[in-house]
Amino acid sequence: MFSYYLNLGLRSLRRNPLLTLLMVLTLAVGVAASMSTLTVLRAMSGDPIPHKSDRLFVVQVDNDPADTAADAEPSDHLSWLDAKELLSAGDGLRRSAMYAVGGVIEMQDGSNQLVSGMAVTRDFFAMFEVPFRFGGAWTAEADTRGADEVVLSDAFARRTFGEDDPTGKTLRIMGRERTIIGVMDAWQPLPKYYWLVGGPNRFGETDDVFIPLHNALTNEQDPNGNVNCSGEGPEPGFVGLLNSECVFMQYWVELASADEREAYRGRLGAYVDAQKVLGRLPVGERSRLLDVQEWMRVQRVLGDDTILQTLLAIGFLLVCIVNTIGLLMAKFSGHAGEIGVRRALGATRRQVFQQYLVQAAVIGFAGGVLGVGLTFAGLALIARQSDEVAAVAHMDATMLLVTLCAAVGAAVLAGLLPTWRACQTLPAIQLKTQ
Amino acid sequence: MEIRPIISALLRSKTGAVLIAMQVALTLAILSNAGYVVQDRLAVAARPTGADEENVFFTRWYAFREGVDIPAMLDRDLELIRAIPGVRSVATANMAPLTQSGWNLGVSRHQDAEREETFNTAFYFTSESLVDALGLELVQGRDFRPDEVQLVEPSIANIEPKHAILTRALAEQLFPDESEYVGKTAFLGDSQFEVVGVVERLQSPWAQLERRGEASMIVPLRQLVAGAAFMVRSEPGQQARVQSDVEAALSKAMEGRVHLGTTTLSEARANRYRTHHAMAWLLLSVMGLLLLVTASGIIGMASLWVNQRRKQIGIRRAIGARRSDILRYFLVENFLVTSLGIAVGIVLALLLNQLLIQTIDAARLPLSHLLIGAAVLWLLGFGAALGPAWRAARIPPAVATRSV
Repeated sequence: MFSYYLNLGLRSLRRNPLLTLLMVLTLAVGVAASMSTLTVLRAMSGDPIPHKSDRLFVVQVDNDPADTAADAEPSDHLSWLDAKELLSAGDGLRRSAMYAVGGVIEMQDGSNQLVSGMAVTRDFFAMFEVPFRFGGAWTAEADTRGADEVVLSDAFARRTFGEDDPTGKTLRIMGRERTIIGVMDAWQPLPKYYWLVGGPNRFGETDDVFIPLHNALTNEQDPNGNVNCSGEGPEPGFVGLLNSECVFMQYWVELASADEREAYRGRLGAYVDAQKVLGRLPVGERSRLLDVQEWMRVQRVLGDDTILQTLLAIGFLLVCIVNTIGLLMAKFSGHAGEIGVRRALGATRRQVFQQYLVQAAVIGFAGGVLGVGLTFAGLALIARQSDEVAAVAHMDATMLLVTLCAAVGAAVLAGLLPTWRACQTLPAIQLKTQ
Repeated sequence: MEIRPIISALLRSKTGAVLIAMQVALTLAILSNAGYVVQDRLAVAARPTGADEENVFFTRWYAFREGVDIPAMLDRDLELIRAIPGVRSVATANMAPLTQSGWNLGVSRHQDAEREETFNTAFYFTSESLVDALGLELVQGRDFRPDEVQLVEPSIANIEPKHAILTRALAEQLFPDESEYVGKTAFLGDSQFEVVGVVERLQSPWAQLERRGEASMIVPLRQLVAGAAFMVRSEPGQQARVQSDVEAALSKAMEGRVHLGTTTLSEARANRYRTHHAMAWLLLSVMGLLLLVTASGIIGMASLWVNQRRKQIGIRRAIGARRSDILRYFLVENFLVTSLGIAVGIVLALLLNQLLIQTIDAARLPLSHLLIGAAVLWLLGFGAALGPAWRAARIPPAVATRSV
């Protein structure tokens, strides 16, 4: 029976072609608008590391001065003073302090270029599950020694060495000869959650080079990012910065399970209390742990514009559905005579209802197919906003399927009222007026 | 014109009318809010920087090798740039308007001021004249003298300016009761400086909203960092050539120096407001589609009503109604339905606005936008109903006599 209804539905597309076209177009633009914005919303609010995000934490040690407003958030970064203590305490399964560095890479041919890098500890790679194409992370010994070693990003290695294995070669990066110890495989977390603060590149490329944190510190690599100093300013020079309350580092810790969060928080509190005795951290009790999703919320990874667009698109879809209801009613009212005949020949209301709902679904499917095409156009339009949005404005198979389903769903939803009204047709009256 | 029969006819077939009214209401709610956002975004993106944007570019270089005599390098670079024909003015600069990165420091009128009396200030410094190089309008006082320029080592602790040029916006914040600012003093941390001049306007690199975006100061200072950044103002119409000449001269002047980038202020503006423009276009296209969809809905429903009432129209015509009566009937009917939608739509628009205020800190919707939105929908409804109503008016009286 369903295939017969489907057949009827397909035929009815040709009847009243103008109305049908209007409906298909309406559904297509409505679904396309909402799907393209939802794609961006989903990508932006997505979990970059789902199986681990509840036991991977940013530690914010709040070293703001005593006169800080009570409702102020703790500073996003922490000072080396605190990062150093947390690292040496060795608490948690894995841990890494990190900061952004930048500098010049001097090529053999004299073409010097800028590179963006991160100074991290060895745990970084395991903690964020970085895949390797060649080699691997540096050793624990190289970590503490601060060896002149470097891990290259996939894109950077391909730009510089093509497909070859460059491990073991040296590169002059940021003023030092560094041995390439590993090359990442494609790794592009969206957003770049390991380093969200202070940059418009939250959805940008993974940094080019990763060097041992202690190497960066001994070689006085200036932070390539925000440095915030509240209270007393630092003494001049890099050592002055390290010994100051200026914040420029991020500290991540991985716990064995999410249940350990409270215990770790307790130990962090004990650390803060110990520092208070030493006269530091006047508002240290506001220090906190945030897991990946909380951190992304605090950092407002999901922009206001994305929310606004999504609201707008949903409103638009609503208008389109209401419009489709009206148009379907207009279309079905022209079928009153036919329904009268079918009912008189013995079709139950239920059968008529099914038949017309299938018709609505056929229209929805046509709208969905067109809508998928329009969604690509919508995404291209949205992607013009910024590179950040462009990085996530891609259609995947799931969203493609959802788009089709949404269109059929919207059409069936819109078809309920007109179909019900069509079923109310009294066969006798319809037959009489023929 | 008798309205009562129209209303009673509408009440007999409510569903269609309610659907159209609902659609009009939703459309008005979205249209007025989106229109307001568009207007707001475009207004923000059109704010002036205070500089001669058409003719200024900012070029940055990095001399990363150790042992470079920085003052000598800068002086030689400045000479080279000045020698290029078409260069009107050049100055070293630590940052440029609209480029979204730079220095931001707290300035207050008194030493040890409370946090709320300290103003976040965009901190420009130069060893030449940024007033000339950016083409700023000096409204009070004078530009810096060469002997006022300080040479400092690169640390924030060494920033102790003695002289400054403020923007009017910053001066008004710092000295709310004054109108002449030259000779006044203020503090950057513990360092006291004297105001030597005031410029009408100079936006910060971030161009924040409201007054913060214009709270800037310029200080005569040259920092001994391994970089070289120049603001270059060219004669009108020669920017592109001047820019390539400057880049060629600077890369030839020193081996191995890295060109960090050059941006014209027009490019920086396009970049800074890319989101704003894209959002405005996106909203405008959705608004356009929305109007089309709603118009198609009204046309569809009005055509349905006309078709359903062909017979009645025929009868009315047969018993003496003129074409204009029929036309008017359908137009008034549509006007009533649209008006109902607009009434509901105004409430919806305010509710949506409330939601936007709560979720994304939007501004309150001004009444004028609601009225404009309502007018647009009335016109749209009228225009959409005109076609079907016209066809209704063409129905000949003879229809009344056909098939019973």
